[in-house]
Amino acid sequence: MKKKPPPQELLPLTPPVFHILLALAGEERHGYGIMQDVAQQTEGALQLGPGTLYGCLKRMLAAGLVEESDERPDPTLDDERRRYYRVTALGGRIVRAEAQRLAGAVTVAMSRLAGGNA
Amino acid sequence: MNSESALIGGFCRLYSFLLHAYPGDFRRQYGRPMEQLFRDRCRDLARSPGRLTLLRFAVHMMADWFSTTVREGAAAVWSAGRSPAKRSSVTEWAVTILIYLFATTTLVQAYVVPTGSMEGNLLVGDHILVDRMAFADPGPLGRHILPYREVERGDIVAFLYPEDTRQTYVKRIIGLPGDRIRLQNRQVIRNGRRLVEPYTQHIAAYPDPYRDDFPLAPGASTTPRGRDMFEHHVWNGEVVVPPGMLFALGDNRDNSADSRYWGFVPRAYVVGKPLLVYWSFDAPTEDLLDWNLAHVIDVAEHFPTRTRWKRTFLVPRSQPAKEVGGTR
Repeated sequence: MKKKPPPQELLPLTPPVFHILLALAGEERHGYGIMQDVAQQTEGALQLGPGTLYGCLKRMLAAGLVEESDERPDPTLDDERRRYYRVTALGGRIVRAEAQRLAGAVTVAMSRLAGGNA
Repeated sequence: MNSESALIGGFCRLYSFLLHAYPGDFRRQYGRPMEQLFRDRCRDLARSPGRLTLLRFAVHMMADWFSTTVREGAAAVWSAGRSPAKRSSVTEWAVTILIYLFATTTLVQAYVVPTGSMEGNLLVGDHILVDRMAFADPGPLGRHILPYREVERGDIVAFLYPEDTRQTYVKRIIGLPGDRIRLQNRQVIRNGRRLVEPYTQHIAAYPDPYRDDFPLAPGASTTPRGRDMFEHHVWNGEVVVPPGMLFALGDNRDNSADSRYWGFVPRAYVVGKPLLVYWSFDAPTEDLLDWNLAHVIDVAEHFPTRTRWKRTFLVPRSQPAKEVGGTR
Protein backbone atom coordinates (compact mmCIF):
# COMPACT_ATOMS: atom_id res chain seq x y z
CA MET A 1 0.00 0.00 0.00
CA LYS A 2 2.87 2.36 0.74
CA LYS A 3 4.36 2.16 -2.72
CA LYS A 4 2.14 4.15 -5.05
CA PRO A 5 -0.51 1.73 -6.23
CA PRO A 6 -1.56 2.19 -9.86
CA PRO A 7 -4.85 4.12 -9.91
CA GLN A 8 -6.77 1.29 -11.58
CA GLU A 9 -6.19 -0.97 -8.60
CA LEU A 10 -8.16 1.31 -6.33
CA LEU A 11 -11.17 1.40 -8.64
CA PRO A 12 -14.07 1.14 -8.33
CA LEU A 13 -14.36 3.41 -5.32
CA THR A 14 -17.05 2.81 -2.74
CA PRO A 15 -19.75 5.53 -2.76
CA PRO A 16 -18.59 7.12 0.53
CA VAL A 17 -14.97 7.34 -0.67
CA PHE A 18 -16.01 8.76 -4.05
CA HIS A 19 -18.22 11.43 -2.52
CA ILE A 20 -15.65 12.34 0.15
CA LEU A 21 -13.08 12.93 -2.61
CA LEU A 22 -15.60 15.06 -4.48
CA ALA A 23 -16.33 17.04 -1.33
CA LEU A 24 -12.62 17.77 -0.92
CA ALA A 25 -12.04 18.51 -4.62
CA GLY A 26 -12.92 22.18 -4.29
CA GLU A 27 -11.57 23.05 -0.88
CA GLU A 28 -10.23 21.78 2.44
CA ARG A 29 -12.97 20.71 4.82
CA HIS A 30 -13.34 19.28 8.32
CA GLY A 31 -15.37 16.17 9.10
CA TYR A 32 -18.69 17.89 9.59
CA GLY A 33 -18.13 19.97 6.44
CA ILE A 34 -17.48 16.80 4.43
CA MET A 35 -20.60 15.19 5.84
CA GLN A 36 -22.76 18.19 4.94
CA ASP A 37 -21.31 18.45 1.44
CA VAL A 38 -21.80 14.75 0.74
CA ALA A 39 -25.42 15.01 1.87
CA GLN A 40 -25.84 17.97 -0.48
CA GLN A 41 -24.16 16.20 -3.43
CA THR A 42 -26.46 13.21 -3.08
CA GLU A 43 -29.57 15.21 -2.13
CA GLY A 44 -29.62 13.65 1.31
CA ALA A 45 -29.37 10.06 0.07
CA LEU A 46 -25.93 9.50 1.60
CA GLN A 47 -25.64 10.60 5.22
CA LEU A 48 -22.21 9.66 6.54
CA GLY A 49 -22.17 8.60 10.19
CA PRO A 50 -19.08 9.40 12.28
CA GLY A 51 -17.75 5.85 12.15
CA THR A 52 -18.17 5.53 8.39
CA LEU A 53 -16.64 8.94 7.70
CA TYR A 54 -13.56 8.56 9.87
CA GLY A 55 -13.11 4.90 8.92
CA CYS A 56 -12.99 5.98 5.27
CA LEU A 57 -10.67 8.88 6.01
CA LYS A 58 -8.32 6.54 7.86
CA ARG A 59 -8.08 4.20 4.86
CA MET A 60 -7.84 7.10 2.41
CA LEU A 61 -4.97 8.59 4.43
CA ALA A 62 -3.20 5.23 4.38
CA ALA A 63 -3.68 4.94 0.62
CA GLY A 64 -2.46 8.51 0.12
CA LEU A 65 -5.68 9.84 -1.40
CA VAL A 66 -6.10 12.60 1.18
CA GLU A 67 -3.89 14.30 3.72
CA GLU A 68 -4.47 16.19 6.90
CA SER A 69 -3.99 19.89 6.51
CA ASP A 70 -4.08 21.39 10.01
CA GLU A 71 -6.26 21.86 13.03
CA ARG A 72 -8.12 25.12 13.34
CA PRO A 73 -11.50 26.42 14.41
CA ASP A 74 -14.28 26.83 11.86
CA PRO A 75 -15.20 30.53 11.56
CA THR A 76 -18.93 29.80 11.16
CA LEU A 77 -19.30 27.13 13.87
CA ASP A 78 -18.10 27.24 17.49
CA ASP A 79 -14.48 28.04 18.34
CA GLU A 80 -13.49 24.42 18.84
CA ARG A 81 -10.47 23.29 16.84
CA ARG A 82 -11.29 20.92 14.00
CA ARG A 83 -9.06 18.74 11.86
CA TYR A 84 -9.10 19.73 8.18
CA TYR A 85 -8.46 17.42 5.23
CA ARG A 86 -7.44 18.06 1.63
CA VAL A 87 -7.14 15.87 -1.42
CA THR A 88 -3.68 14.79 -2.71
CA ALA A 89 -2.51 14.70 -6.33
CA LEU A 90 -3.09 10.94 -6.34
CA GLY A 91 -6.56 11.42 -4.87
CA GLY A 92 -7.35 13.92 -7.61
CA ARG A 93 -6.29 11.48 -10.32
CA ILE A 94 -8.25 8.64 -8.73
CA VAL A 95 -11.49 10.57 -8.45
CA ARG A 96 -11.16 11.71 -12.07
CA ALA A 97 -10.56 8.13 -13.20
CA GLU A 98 -13.58 6.97 -11.22
CA ALA A 99 -15.76 9.70 -12.71
CA GLN A 100 -14.66 8.62 -16.20
CA ARG A 101 -15.40 5.00 -15.39
CA LEU A 102 -18.86 5.95 -14.18
CA ALA A 103 -19.46 8.18 -17.20
CA GLY A 104 -18.54 5.26 -19.47
CA ALA A 105 -20.95 3.00 -17.59
CA VAL A 106 -23.69 5.62 -17.81
CA THR A 107 -23.18 5.99 -21.58
CA VAL A 108 -23.51 2.25 -22.09
CA ALA A 109 -26.55 2.13 -19.83
CA MET A 110 -28.26 5.02 -21.63
CA SER A 111 -27.82 3.51 -25.06
CA ARG A 112 -28.91 0.02 -24.00
CA LEU A 113 -31.89 1.17 -21.99
CA ALA A 114 -33.03 3.70 -24.60
CA GLY A 115 -32.93 0.90 -27.20
CA GLY A 116 -34.82 -1.51 -24.95
CA ASN A 117 -37.53 0.92 -23.94
CA ALA A 118 -38.23 2.53 -27.30
CA MET B 1 -37.49 21.95 24.13
CA ASN B 2 -36.03 21.33 27.53
CA SER B 3 -36.60 17.61 27.44
CA GLU B 4 -35.30 17.65 23.88
CA SER B 5 -31.97 19.17 24.89
CA ALA B 6 -31.74 16.82 27.86
CA LEU B 7 -32.21 14.03 25.39
CA ILE B 8 -29.45 15.37 23.16
CA GLY B 9 -27.14 15.65 26.15
CA GLY B 10 -27.96 12.03 26.89
CA PHE B 11 -27.26 11.04 23.31
CA CYS B 12 -23.83 12.70 23.41
CA ARG B 13 -22.97 10.99 26.71
CA LEU B 14 -24.01 7.66 25.31
CA TYR B 15 -22.04 8.20 22.13
CA SER B 16 -18.87 9.02 24.06
CA PHE B 17 -19.42 5.83 25.98
CA LEU B 18 -20.08 3.78 22.86
CA LEU B 19 -16.82 4.95 21.33
CA HIS B 20 -15.09 2.51 23.66
CA ALA B 21 -16.23 -0.29 21.40
CA TYR B 22 -13.76 0.92 18.76
CA PRO B 23 -10.16 -0.33 18.89
CA GLY B 24 -7.94 1.85 21.08
CA ASP B 25 -5.78 3.15 18.24
CA PHE B 26 -8.77 4.22 16.20
CA ARG B 27 -10.43 5.83 19.20
CA ARG B 28 -7.35 7.80 20.14
CA GLN B 29 -6.93 8.97 16.58
CA TYR B 30 -10.52 9.84 15.70
CA GLY B 31 -12.55 9.72 18.93
CA ARG B 32 -12.59 13.48 19.51
CA PRO B 33 -13.55 14.53 15.96
CA MET B 34 -16.20 11.81 15.97
CA GLU B 35 -17.71 13.27 19.13
CA GLN B 36 -17.60 16.70 17.51
CA LEU B 37 -19.35 15.43 14.42
CA PHE B 38 -21.95 13.69 16.51
CA ARG B 39 -22.65 16.86 18.49
CA ASP B 40 -22.93 18.87 15.26
CA ARG B 41 -25.47 16.40 13.94
CA CYS B 42 -27.41 16.69 17.19
CA ARG B 43 -27.50 20.47 16.86
CA ASP B 44 -28.87 20.10 13.33
CA LEU B 45 -31.47 17.83 14.76
CA ALA B 46 -32.50 20.30 17.44
CA ARG B 47 -33.29 22.78 14.68
CA SER B 48 -35.66 20.38 12.95
CA PRO B 49 -37.29 18.47 15.80
CA GLY B 50 -39.84 15.71 15.52
CA ARG B 51 -40.04 12.23 16.92
CA LEU B 52 -39.57 10.61 13.54
CA THR B 53 -36.41 12.54 12.67
CA LEU B 54 -35.11 11.64 16.09
CA LEU B 55 -35.88 7.99 15.66
CA ARG B 56 -34.36 7.89 12.19
CA PHE B 57 -31.27 9.63 13.50
CA ALA B 58 -30.93 7.18 16.39
CA VAL B 59 -31.32 4.19 14.10
CA HIS B 60 -28.81 5.62 11.63
CA MET B 61 -26.24 6.27 14.36
CA MET B 62 -26.65 2.81 15.87
CA ALA B 63 -26.25 1.23 12.44
CA ASP B 64 -23.17 3.33 11.75
CA TRP B 65 -21.72 2.47 15.15
CA PHE B 66 -22.43 -1.23 14.86
CA SER B 67 -21.07 -1.70 11.34
CA THR B 68 -17.97 0.40 11.84
CA THR B 69 -17.01 -1.05 15.25
CA VAL B 70 -17.14 -4.44 13.59
CA ARG B 71 -15.11 -3.22 10.64
CA GLU B 72 -12.47 -1.37 12.63
CA GLY B 73 -12.29 -4.16 15.20
CA ALA B 74 -11.66 -6.70 12.47
CA ALA B 75 -9.11 -4.38 10.85
CA ALA B 76 -7.26 -4.04 14.16
CA VAL B 77 -7.22 -7.80 14.72
CA TRP B 78 -5.90 -8.26 11.21
CA SER B 79 -3.16 -5.69 11.33
CA ALA B 80 -2.10 -7.07 14.72
CA GLY B 81 -1.85 -10.52 13.15
CA ARG B 82 0.22 -9.03 10.30
CA SER B 83 -0.58 -11.98 8.19
CA PRO B 84 -0.09 -11.15 4.55
CA ALA B 85 -2.43 -13.94 3.50
CA LYS B 86 -6.01 -12.82 3.01
CA ARG B 87 -8.49 -14.49 5.29
CA SER B 88 -12.02 -15.11 4.22
CA SER B 89 -14.74 -12.81 5.36
CA VAL B 90 -16.41 -15.80 7.02
CA THR B 91 -13.65 -16.08 9.62
CA GLU B 92 -13.68 -12.31 9.94
CA TRP B 93 -17.36 -12.37 10.86
CA ALA B 94 -17.00 -15.39 13.10
CA VAL B 95 -14.39 -13.56 15.18
CA THR B 96 -16.57 -10.50 15.43
CA ILE B 97 -19.69 -12.39 16.42
CA LEU B 98 -17.73 -14.29 19.04
CA ILE B 99 -16.47 -11.01 20.45
CA TYR B 100 -20.00 -9.61 20.63
CA LEU B 101 -21.38 -12.76 22.24
CA PHE B 102 -18.57 -12.75 24.76
CA ALA B 103 -19.11 -9.08 25.49
CA THR B 104 -22.84 -9.32 25.99
CA THR B 105 -22.72 -12.35 28.24
CA THR B 106 -19.68 -11.67 30.37
CA LEU B 107 -19.14 -7.92 30.31
CA VAL B 108 -22.60 -6.48 30.60
CA GLN B 109 -26.03 -7.77 31.40
CA ALA B 110 -29.39 -6.17 30.76
CA TYR B 111 -31.68 -5.96 33.74
CA VAL B 112 -35.00 -4.30 34.46
CA VAL B 113 -35.91 -2.70 37.78
CA PRO B 114 -39.17 -4.37 38.83
CA THR B 115 -39.90 -2.67 42.16
CA GLY B 116 -39.67 0.78 43.68
CA SER B 117 -37.23 -0.12 46.43
CA MET B 118 -34.51 2.14 45.00
CA GLU B 119 -36.93 4.90 44.05
CA GLY B 120 -35.29 8.28 44.04
CA ASN B 121 -32.44 6.77 42.02
CA LEU B 122 -33.95 3.93 40.03
CA LEU B 123 -37.60 3.81 39.03
CA VAL B 124 -39.84 0.87 38.25
CA GLY B 125 -39.38 0.17 34.55
CA ASP B 126 -35.80 1.42 34.27
CA HIS B 127 -33.96 -0.92 31.92
CA ILE B 128 -30.34 -0.88 32.94
CA LEU B 129 -27.06 -2.38 31.82
CA VAL B 130 -25.06 -4.01 34.59
CA ASP B 131 -21.28 -3.96 34.38
CA ARG B 132 -20.38 -7.51 35.31
CA MET B 133 -16.65 -6.88 35.35
CA ALA B 134 -16.67 -4.18 38.02
CA PHE B 135 -16.65 -6.43 41.06
CA ALA B 136 -15.76 -9.75 39.47
CA ASP B 137 -12.53 -11.19 40.79
CA PRO B 138 -10.36 -11.47 37.68
CA GLY B 139 -7.76 -13.71 39.30
CA PRO B 140 -4.12 -12.92 40.09
CA LEU B 141 -3.17 -12.02 36.50
CA GLY B 142 -6.25 -10.07 35.43
CA ARG B 143 -6.10 -8.01 38.59
CA HIS B 144 -3.33 -5.94 37.02
CA ILE B 145 -5.08 -5.49 33.69
CA LEU B 146 -8.79 -5.10 34.37
CA PRO B 147 -10.55 -2.22 36.10
CA TYR B 148 -11.50 -4.22 39.16
CA ARG B 149 -12.23 -2.96 42.64
CA GLU B 150 -13.76 -4.24 45.85
CA VAL B 151 -17.34 -3.41 46.78
CA GLU B 152 -17.43 -0.28 48.92
CA ARG B 153 -19.97 1.24 51.25
CA GLY B 154 -22.40 3.39 49.28
CA ASP B 155 -22.06 1.39 46.05
CA ILE B 156 -25.23 0.55 44.19
CA VAL B 157 -24.89 -3.12 43.40
CA ALA B 158 -26.83 -5.72 41.44
CA PHE B 159 -26.82 -9.15 43.07
CA LEU B 160 -28.67 -12.46 43.12
CA TYR B 161 -31.44 -12.47 45.69
CA PRO B 162 -30.09 -14.94 48.30
CA GLU B 163 -33.50 -16.55 48.94
CA ASP B 164 -34.13 -17.15 45.24
CA THR B 165 -31.11 -16.83 42.99
CA ARG B 166 -33.23 -16.67 39.85
CA GLN B 167 -34.01 -13.08 40.76
CA THR B 168 -31.63 -10.16 40.57
CA TYR B 169 -31.95 -7.30 43.04
CA VAL B 170 -30.41 -3.84 43.02
CA LYS B 171 -29.69 -2.21 46.40
CA ARG B 172 -27.15 0.02 48.06
CA ILE B 173 -24.35 -1.51 50.12
CA ILE B 174 -24.47 -0.18 53.68
CA GLY B 175 -22.29 -2.62 55.58
CA LEU B 176 -19.07 -4.49 54.81
CA PRO B 177 -17.76 -7.47 56.82
CA GLY B 178 -17.12 -6.44 60.42
CA ASP B 179 -19.42 -3.41 60.33
CA ARG B 180 -21.93 -3.00 63.15
CA ILE B 181 -25.29 -1.81 61.86
CA ARG B 182 -28.51 -0.68 63.48
CA LEU B 183 -31.31 1.71 62.70
CA GLN B 184 -32.65 4.27 65.12
CA ASN B 185 -35.78 6.12 64.16
CA ARG B 186 -35.17 5.34 60.46
CA GLN B 187 -31.54 6.46 60.54
CA VAL B 188 -28.70 4.05 59.97
CA ILE B 189 -26.03 3.94 62.65
CA ARG B 190 -22.90 2.21 61.45
CA ASN B 191 -20.12 1.41 63.90
CA GLY B 192 -21.65 3.94 66.29
CA ARG B 193 -21.74 6.79 63.78
CA ARG B 194 -24.94 8.14 62.32
CA LEU B 195 -25.10 8.17 58.51
CA VAL B 196 -26.32 11.17 56.61
CA GLU B 197 -27.82 9.67 53.46
CA PRO B 198 -29.03 12.29 50.99
CA TYR B 199 -30.11 9.63 48.51
CA THR B 200 -32.76 8.00 50.70
CA GLN B 201 -36.47 8.55 50.53
CA HIS B 202 -38.96 8.07 53.35
CA ILE B 203 -42.61 7.78 52.44
CA ALA B 204 -44.33 5.91 55.26
CA ALA B 205 -46.55 7.97 57.51
CA TYR B 206 -46.77 5.34 60.24
CA PRO B 207 -43.88 4.03 62.30
CA ASP B 208 -42.86 0.39 62.17
CA PRO B 209 -40.41 -0.54 64.91
CA TYR B 210 -39.11 -3.54 63.03
CA ARG B 211 -38.29 -1.45 59.98
CA ASP B 212 -37.29 1.81 61.65
CA ASP B 213 -35.42 0.59 64.72
CA PHE B 214 -33.87 -2.55 63.29
CA PRO B 215 -32.84 -4.95 64.81
CA LEU B 216 -34.47 -4.16 68.17
CA ALA B 217 -37.85 -5.71 67.42
CA PRO B 218 -37.31 -9.14 65.87
CA GLY B 219 -40.16 -11.45 65.03
CA ALA B 220 -41.50 -10.10 61.80
CA SER B 221 -38.55 -11.41 59.81
CA THR B 222 -40.00 -13.55 57.11
CA THR B 223 -37.25 -15.65 55.58
CA PRO B 224 -34.96 -18.40 56.92
CA ARG B 225 -31.87 -16.32 56.20
CA GLY B 226 -33.40 -13.37 58.00
CA ARG B 227 -34.07 -15.53 61.06
CA ASP B 228 -30.50 -16.86 60.90
CA MET B 229 -29.22 -13.28 60.98
CA PHE B 230 -31.23 -12.53 64.12
CA GLU B 231 -30.16 -15.74 65.82
CA HIS B 232 -26.44 -15.61 65.13
CA HIS B 233 -25.34 -12.13 64.16
CA VAL B 234 -27.00 -9.70 66.55
CA TRP B 235 -24.80 -8.46 69.38
CA ASN B 236 -25.83 -5.73 71.82
CA GLY B 237 -28.69 -4.60 69.63
CA GLU B 238 -26.55 -4.35 66.49
CA VAL B 239 -26.17 -6.59 63.49
CA VAL B 240 -22.53 -7.51 62.86
CA VAL B 241 -21.78 -8.30 59.22
CA PRO B 242 -19.93 -11.65 59.05
CA PRO B 243 -16.92 -12.28 56.78
CA GLY B 244 -17.73 -12.69 53.10
CA MET B 245 -21.12 -11.02 53.51
CA LEU B 246 -22.62 -7.59 52.74
CA PHE B 247 -25.49 -5.66 54.26
CA ALA B 248 -27.71 -3.97 51.65
CA LEU B 249 -30.59 -1.53 51.97
CA GLY B 250 -32.92 0.06 49.40
CA ASP B 251 -32.90 3.84 49.01
CA ASN B 252 -36.68 3.90 49.30
CA ARG B 253 -36.09 2.97 52.91
CA ASP B 254 -39.70 2.59 54.09
CA ASN B 255 -40.75 0.38 51.20
CA SER B 256 -37.85 -1.92 50.55
CA ALA B 257 -37.43 -5.62 51.14
CA ASP B 258 -33.73 -5.66 51.94
CA SER B 259 -31.14 -7.09 54.33
CA ARG B 260 -33.37 -6.14 57.25
CA TYR B 261 -35.84 -8.78 56.12
CA TRP B 262 -33.84 -11.48 54.38
CA GLY B 263 -30.36 -11.21 55.83
CA PHE B 264 -26.95 -10.71 54.31
CA VAL B 265 -25.86 -10.81 50.67
CA PRO B 266 -22.99 -13.26 50.12
CA ARG B 267 -20.12 -11.47 48.34
CA ALA B 268 -20.13 -14.24 45.73
CA TYR B 269 -23.72 -13.34 44.74
CA VAL B 270 -22.75 -9.86 43.57
CA VAL B 271 -23.39 -9.61 39.82
CA GLY B 272 -22.03 -6.15 39.11
CA LYS B 273 -22.53 -2.43 39.06
CA PRO B 274 -25.44 -0.71 37.27
CA LEU B 275 -23.84 1.13 34.38
CA LEU B 276 -26.56 3.15 32.76
CA VAL B 277 -30.29 3.30 32.12
CA TYR B 278 -30.73 2.55 28.43
CA TRP B 279 -34.50 2.71 28.41
CA SER B 280 -37.03 3.71 31.00
CA PHE B 281 -40.62 2.70 30.42
CA ASP B 282 -43.50 3.32 32.78
CA ALA B 283 -45.08 -0.12 33.27
CA PRO B 284 -46.46 -2.22 36.14
CA THR B 285 -44.16 -4.59 38.01
CA GLU B 286 -45.78 -7.84 36.88
CA ASP B 287 -45.42 -6.94 33.19
CA LEU B 288 -41.74 -6.14 33.62
CA LEU B 289 -40.98 -9.45 35.31
CA ASP B 290 -42.93 -11.53 32.87
CA TRP B 291 -43.37 -10.24 29.34
CA ASN B 292 -46.81 -11.05 28.00
CA LEU B 293 -48.69 -10.22 24.82
CA ALA B 294 -50.64 -7.40 26.46
CA HIS B 295 -47.38 -5.80 27.53
CA VAL B 296 -45.89 -6.06 24.05
CA ILE B 297 -48.94 -4.30 22.62
CA ASP B 298 -48.81 -1.77 25.45
CA VAL B 299 -45.16 -0.96 24.64
CA ALA B 300 -45.87 -0.71 20.92
CA GLU B 301 -48.75 1.68 21.48
CA HIS B 302 -47.23 3.90 24.12
CA PHE B 303 -43.51 3.74 23.37
CA PRO B 304 -43.07 7.50 22.72
CA THR B 305 -45.35 8.75 25.48
CA ARG B 306 -44.58 6.41 28.35
CA THR B 307 -40.85 6.17 27.72
CA ARG B 308 -39.25 8.46 30.27
CA TRP B 309 -36.95 10.21 27.81
CA LYS B 310 -35.19 12.24 30.47
CA ARG B 311 -33.94 9.09 32.15
CA THR B 312 -32.47 7.63 28.98
CA PHE B 313 -28.73 7.04 29.35
CA LEU B 314 -28.76 8.19 32.96
CA VAL B 315 -25.87 6.85 35.03
CA PRO B 316 -26.79 5.75 38.58
CA ARG B 317 -24.13 7.03 40.91
CA SER B 318 -22.60 5.37 43.91
CA GLN B 319 -22.45 7.80 46.75
CA PRO B 320 -20.82 7.28 50.12
CA ALA B 321 -22.86 8.50 53.07
CA LYS B 322 -21.39 11.10 55.38
CA GLU B 323 -20.80 9.87 58.91
CA VAL B 324 -21.45 12.08 61.91
CA GLY B 325 -20.94 11.56 65.62
CA GLY B 326 -18.07 10.02 67.56
CA THR B 327 -17.22 6.34 67.51
CA ARG B 328 -18.30 4.20 70.37
